[in-house]
Amino acid sequence: MGVIELLEGSLWTLSVCIFVVFGLWRIFVILTAGRSPTQARPVGSPRGGAVRAIFGHFLPRRAFLGQGRVWFVTIAGYAFHIGLFALLFFAAPHVAFLRDHILGFDWPALPRWGFIIAAQFAFTGLLALWVRRFVDPVVRLISRPDDHIAAGLTFLVMLTGCMALGEQSVTLRGIHLGFVEAWLIYFPFSSLMHTFTWPLSRGFTGALAGRRGTRM
Amino acid sequence: MTAHTKPLPPKSFDQQGDVPDAVRVASAMEGFLSEFGPRASSYLNACVRCGLCAEACHFHLATGEAKYTPIHKIKPFEKAYGQLQGPFSWIKRAFGIAPTVSIAELREWEELIFDSCTLCGRCTMVCPMGIDIAELVKEARHGMFQAGLLPDRLAQIAGNAKTKHSPFGAPADFVEAIQAIEAEFSIRLPLDKPKADLLLTLAPGDLDEHHQSVVGLARILDSLGIDWTLSSVAFEATNFGYLSGDTQLQGELTCRLIDKAREIGAATILLPECGHAWGALRWEAARWYGAPIDDIRIMHTLELLAERIQAGDIRLRPVGESATFHDPCQQIRRGGLGWAPRVVLKTLGMELRELENTQETSFCCGGGGGVLANTRAAPLRLQAFEIKRKEVEATGATHFVTSCGQCRLQFDRSRKETDWDKEVESLLELVAANMITD
Amino acid sequence: MCVAFAGLVRKASLMLLVTMMFLVVAVEHGAAQGTVPPFPSQSGPENTLGDQSDSDIWRAIRQGGGGLPGSSEVTDGVLINADGVWWSQLRRPAGPLVRFGSIGIATVLAAIMVFFVARGRLRIDGGRSGRRVARFSLAQRVVHWVMAVVFLLLGFTGLLLLFGRAFLIPIVGKTAFSIIATASMQAHNLFGPIFIVSLVALFITFLRGNSPSFSDLKWVVRGGGMFGGHVSSGRYNAGEKAWFWTATIAGIALSVSGLVLSFPDVLGTHDLLHRAELLHAIAALVFVGFGIGHIYLGTIGTEGAIDGMISGDVDENWARTHHDLWLDDMKATKGGAADGRD
Repeated sequence: MGVIELLEGSLWTLSVCIFVVFGLWRIFVILTAGRSPTQARPVGSPRGGAVRAIFGHFLPRRAFLGQGRVWFVTIAGYAFHIGLFALLFFAAPHVAFLRDHILGFDWPALPRWGFIIAAQFAFTGLLALWVRRFVDPVVRLISRPDDHIAAGLTFLVMLTGCMALGEQSVTLRGIHLGFVEAWLIYFPFSSLMHTFTWPLSRGFTGALAGRRGTRM
Repeated sequence: MTAHTKPLPPKSFDQQGDVPDAVRVASAMEGFLSEFGPRASSYLNACVRCGLCAEACHFHLATGEAKYTPIHKIKPFEKAYGQLQGPFSWIKRAFGIAPTVSIAELREWEELIFDSCTLCGRCTMVCPMGIDIAELVKEARHGMFQAGLLPDRLAQIAGNAKTKHSPFGAPADFVEAIQAIEAEFSIRLPLDKPKADLLLTLAPGDLDEHHQSVVGLARILDSLGIDWTLSSVAFEATNFGYLSGDTQLQGELTCRLIDKAREIGAATILLPECGHAWGALRWEAARWYGAPIDDIRIMHTLELLAERIQAGDIRLRPVGESATFHDPCQQIRRGGLGWAPRVVLKTLGMELRELENTQETSFCCGGGGGVLANTRAAPLRLQAFEIKRKEVEATGATHFVTSCGQCRLQFDRSRKETDWDKEVESLLELVAANMITD
Repeated sequence: MCVAFAGLVRKASLMLLVTMMFLVVAVEHGAAQGTVPPFPSQSGPENTLGDQSDSDIWRAIRQGGGGLPGSSEVTDGVLINADGVWWSQLRRPAGPLVRFGSIGIATVLAAIMVFFVARGRLRIDGGRSGRRVARFSLAQRVVHWVMAVVFLLLGFTGLLLLFGRAFLIPIVGKTAFSIIATASMQAHNLFGPIFIVSLVALFITFLRGNSPSFSDLKWVVRGGGMFGGHVSSGRYNAGEKAWFWTATIAGIALSVSGLVLSFPDVLGTHDLLHRAELLHAIAALVFVGFGIGHIYLGTIGTEGAIDGMISGDVDENWARTHHDLWLDDMKATKGGAADGRD
């Protein structure tokens, strides 16, 4: 059981450290890049605009609702993200893991049927979005290797997690943990970082729009 | 995998100067990141390649071509960031896996960066990350300019702005044009007054084709009793430094206007019905001075009209009839003036029939961002125009109004190509024509 | 699920054996003592006249008589399922289901190999023209590939569950197989509902063009041109239509039986569950067998076929080779050009 101990011990610690240290480093580099030009006298509030954009971009504007692809990406995107969020923070084994190893407290976990439903949404959304990367000429053209690796790793983390759902096998748990660690190590170097960069991006645009008295 | 076999145009790129390719690439890499900051950095670190930006771009929607996906247009710029400045660029360089940009790529992307982006910013509206791709394309143009990889026509116009003072011509040409307009319309246009409260600037289109706009502005300013002047050494409102990626020129053109206004004690610089002039002067002038321009109000014609109408200083005869309004991107979506034309049209008593896509999500005319000046982009512009034409026809409105000279030129030229009989009217000229003067 | 039920079946057989031994002992004991009842009585001796026979009770139970089961997910009031023996014979590692199932899959693979060796890749008549014709919309492509991924996941895990005891235990051993089997079961159950959703989406997006027509008969009679000669075909040929309808019907069978197997305590009796599992296995074998043929013909088997499912458009000469009637239609209505967007 040497491998399991490694996965649960030093490898786990190492991957979490890489995730945290390089993730923070990346945010730091983003925010200190180059220089910011002096801004014009504002018409409206840049801060208000930033807040508005951060929340406003959660849903597509009415002008784009006539387009099938906008619907597709929005629905599949939410199915995947909400499903994944529910699995990540409310699956019973995860709640227990976070309580025992990191936080020291817990919160109500999803019942089994809730887990299953969340997993269905997460898998369907991820599969649909990933498949589209291969068959939509637009996304096919702009997809980077990173986008496929990120999607693939996330898929494997989810799949191995679900395979270990019986909670009877140390091996299955170890496989899941191994993929989680690979995912954590890959995370800060990849587009998975959008988990943390989205408010920055929206906020900068919103601040510009707020300053100019428009909505972007 | 299955490339559509479409014959490439015989020559898809232009280049200026005579330097080795390696020098061009190096200059591009440096230029790409010359104005780079946390804003662009956040954008490049947030994109997840969902491709929704394509759904907003008039060039993609009009042609169906994947290469016109907005985020794709900045690929070399993004690579430069990844190679030189990205969070882990030093690791990537150490391992030899940093992205590189080739001269062939830069040449291929010239069309995407200059011909197929009007900097209209509609893609930002649909982007889940709110990425301002127009800003990124603008920064990408900095590198292309440094590399000498511009469409020839744009390079030529920017060159005129640099050497002759204006794309329109030298100060002497301007004086001649002003005198011609004075003679044509029996009007007096104050020129080079040593002191004035307001410095009026114009666009080449006003001097070439839209003489009525110049006359209208003069009449409105006179009727308001404003002490105004034109300047033969600071008349050019457009900023081809901004459009071509020549940041040095952009700064020179900006400072010329601000400095002149300060010299003659003008409290206001009035910009004509032009889009990017508003973006360049109102929103970007501060960077050249390192401080916000607080002593001079940079005012757009739209603002002048709407504010003075609201104040009761300009009174209008109701026109009645129905009108639809094309929102110029740089004034409305990226300029915050969406309220103004609606105030004006209402006071004109016109029934406003909004286009299907309006205000912040309005479609670009297809000719902004230097694309209109770039003659080789004409076929593409024409395709993008179709979107607007359909929207205008769908409203069934009698008048088709806008407030940007460049948009008007794009509509006029495309109209002739497609035998469309709908004439586009200037909001300013409508106001001037229906102003009640005692 | 299958493993759990196989276990149940084994348990039931064991119980049966123990019970019969107990019965024998009890009967002998009763015969020896004469008056001792089979169960401890509370109020004096019962059945003193012998009108109730122990062997009758046990026979009734043995043949599926009523009672309260000790522990089972299925509370259909059956103590010992008489069908269990039949089922266990059918489903055991060396039983007919595994034997004929594996022979079937192996036959399909062998036939494809023979066909490939004999006929080679089906080429485009006249080679690629460079002109493209739009064939599948983006929605069709996305739905198809989501289904393809789900098919692969369900197929692999399902085959592991069906054949694993027979073919995998000898290779990896029982411990490793138990891990593989539980993992497969979890994944299989999880992807099931996604299969149902994908199936409905697939049916809706691909229905147009898949209704049978007269020209299908000619296609069938002439072997689809797979053995030489050209056979005209519309948007889909008879083989593709057969696949569409087989997938639809087998898919419905898989969906319904899968749901029954997923919720044994809500929906099932032992009998229903046995029949559902049999149906599930047979439908799956048909689906997988046909699927393997489809994968072959869609990829290496037919030059240029995969284009349509990736980029959405196909070469004009490919269309003329395989779907000439459809190409004529396309040319008549759309000028035959791919519009790049769908």
